[in-house]
Amino acid sequence: MDTNKKLREQISALKDGALPEADLELALAALQGSDGRQAWDLYHLIGDTLRDAPPNPAPVLSPDFHARLAERLAGEAPPLRRAAIAVEPTSLAAVLAKSASS
Amino acid sequence: MTTERECDQLLVERVQAGDQGAFDLLVSKYQRRLMRLVSRFVHDPAEAEDVVQETFIKAYRALRHFRGDSAFYTWLYRIGINTAKNFLVTQGRRAPTSTETDVERAEGFDDADSLRDINTPESMLASKQIAHTVNAAMEALPLELRTAIVLREIEGLSYEEISEVMACPIGTVRSRIFRAREVIAEKLRPLLDFPVDKRR
Repeated sequence: MDTNKKLREQISALKDGALPEADLELALAALQGSDGRQAWDLYHLIGDTLRDAPPNPAPVLSPDFHARLAERLAGEAPPLRRAAIAVEPTSLAAVLAKSASS
Repeated sequence: MTTERECDQLLVERVQAGDQGAFDLLVSKYQRRLMRLVSRFVHDPAEAEDVVQETFIKAYRALRHFRGDSAFYTWLYRIGINTAKNFLVTQGRRAPTSTETDVERAEGFDDADSLRDINTPESMLASKQIAHTVNAAMEALPLELRTAIVLREIEGLSYEEISEVMACPIGTVRSRIFRAREVIAEKLRPLLDFPVDKRR
C-alpha cells in the first residue's frame, strides 16, 4: 500500500475513533496536507449522506408483521437452555452407579 | 444502572427459561433496525420483511446456544446479514464478493458521466446529487464492503462489534470500511471539484 493510501486508511480509522494511539501523530500530520484534509472531508460527507439520505423511502414493516411472526413463533419449540430443561432425575444417579459398578 | 447489552441479556435468559413474551420484547426492540439493515441489501420491501421474519425465527431457534459472549444485537445482525445473503443467492441475485473487481464495478455506475457534465458549482454541490452518487456507489459495492460501512455509518457499531457481526478480524473491518469510503469518495470528487491526486 502506498504512503498516501496508508495515511488515508489511518484517517478513516481516526474518523471512527478506532486509530491506535501509536498512529495518531502521523494521522494528525497527514490532516495538515490537502490529500489528508480532502479525505477527512469526504469521509464525513459520505457518513452524513448515508445517515441523512436513505436510497429509498425509509423501510417500514407492514402492520401485521408482529402478528405473523408471533403466529410462526407459536409453532416453534421454546429455545430452552440445557439448565432450564427438566433433567431426568435418574440420569446422574445412573451414570454414578454404572461407574461405581465397573 | 443496566446497560442496553445487560438488558438484552436479561431478556435472552428469560426466553431461555421458557418466557416467550421476552422474545416479543426483543422483536419489538430490533424489528425496525433489522428492517433498515436488511433493506440495504434486499430492496423489495415485502422481500426484506420476509428476510427479517426469517431472521427472527432463526434467532429464536438458535437462542438456546446463545451464551452472551457477544452482544445480542451483533449476534442478531450477523444472522440477518447471512439470511439476506442467502436470500440473494437463492433468488439468483448473486451477492457480490470482494474477490470481484469492486472498484471496477463501482466505476461502472452509469450516471457518473452525466453528473460530471453538470457545470455550475451550485448544482454540483446540490445535496440531492451527492446523495444520488453516494447511494449509487453504495449499491455497486461488493457485499462485504457495503456491509462494513452500513454497520459503521448507519448502525453506529464499533470496529470490534462489526468484526463480531462479520466474523472477521478488526484489521479487515478497518480495511473494508476504508476501501468502501475510497470507492465512494472517488465518485464524489468530480462533483465537488476536488483536484485529482495522480499519486493515488
